[in-house]
Amino acid sequence: MSPTVSDEILHAFIDGELDVAESEKLIARMHGDAELTQRVCALRSLRGMVKLAYAEPPPAVGRQSRRAPRRRFVQRCAFGSLILLAGLSGGWALRGVESRTLAAAPAAALDGYRTVSLAREADPNRVMLHLDSAAPDKMQAVLDQAERLLDEAEREGRTMQLEVIANSRGIQLMRAGYSPYAARMARMKQRHVNLHWVACAQSIARITDEGQRVELLPATRTAPTAIGEIVTRLQQGWTYVRV
Amino acid sequence: MTMMSRFLFGPFRPAIEAQRPVLYRIAYAWCHDAALADDLVQETLSKAWVRRAQLRDETALKAWMVAIMNRCWLDHLRSRRDFDAVEDWQDELESGAASPEACCDREQVIACVRAAVARLPLGQRQVLTLVDLEEFGYAEVAGILGIPVGTVMSRLSRARASLKSLLAATMPQPAAQPQLRRVK
Repeated sequence: MSPTVSDEILHAFIDGELDVAESEKLIARMHGDAELTQRVCALRSLRGMVKLAYAEPPPAVGRQSRRAPRRRFVQRCAFGSLILLAGLSGGWALRGVESRTLAAAPAAALDGYRTVSLAREADPNRVMLHLDSAAPDKMQAVLDQAERLLDEAEREGRTMQLEVIANSRGIQLMRAGYSPYAARMARMKQRHVNLHWVACAQSIARITDEGQRVELLPATRTAPTAIGEIVTRLQQGWTYVRV
Repeated sequence: MTMMSRFLFGPFRPAIEAQRPVLYRIAYAWCHDAALADDLVQETLSKAWVRRAQLRDETALKAWMVAIMNRCWLDHLRSRRDFDAVEDWQDELESGAASPEACCDREQVIACVRAAVARLPLGQRQVLTLVDLEEFGYAEVAGILGIPVGTVMSRLSRARASLKSLLAATMPQPAAQPQLRRVK
């Protein structure tokens, strides 16, 4: 067996151009070769990024195709103002009601954050929260947000999947011995099966390069890159929130 | 009746028209110019309509239309004075637009990837977008672009390698970034 697999073979593999026997041989090799797996993952996320970049090409303006988007825009405006009106009148009508009963709407829970989703409507049941800073208030905000969303889903009987993705300095949250919230995170994980802690392997490697040893909290998973993970999830229809 | 008319006239107009979004996405990825992409698509659709009887295998409609669009695109480039040969575009790789800012959210990732794809040489860009966006097989891409399969593979390989290095330079380098900003 050759010591390294060529890039061409890996490209053919991720593009589904290898025959079954060759693919199986490569998959078997990937099991014992972390570096090879890493290369395949990197290629896959590269392909995912290209796909994402052109998922919604900008519309051509000034042609006959102009009409449809404009109509859609008008529709959206109308729809938006309807929602606004409904919200305003709803708020007025419910002004006496205790605020606890109002927390039901999932959108309300994400108040104050910009959500990103490839779907027309953000999916409230599959959410990733992205943390890239070690500021204590951000860390706490991520955990509070996660807890609020999960509790709310539980109350409404929805099954919700939630990923907290940390990269850059945000990794601090998931490092054993450094995380100020280790106990709270363990408790949360115990309560919610569908809660996942994901750390960016690239950021970990960078910290390791600086000479520090990185040990993650138990139940933390690593992804090859945070961006890759986010892009893949977006394509799967997840909602992205940067805290 | 349907079989008969299909045999006589090729695919129906709706089937051809339905390829518009696919073609537009590819055209945009090739030229990164919305108006030009729209022109290319329009031209392709009308050519496909005129030549609809030439299509033998209807399952290959998409590939057939992309091949037409490739010819339209090359014609367009030839009509412009700055186009000499596909290989010459290799030189433009280094002198392209200024490298984009570091990416950190989705719009920026998209902008970075588009900028990086735009800087690939034309031949590589075409192969990469056909494989990645529309998941054409290597043999199909070879047929569409009229090049050997080996060339498809080598262009794809080079395209992904340069894309990787172009993006590595722009993807977030969080630890170093704030310090870099302070230096003036």
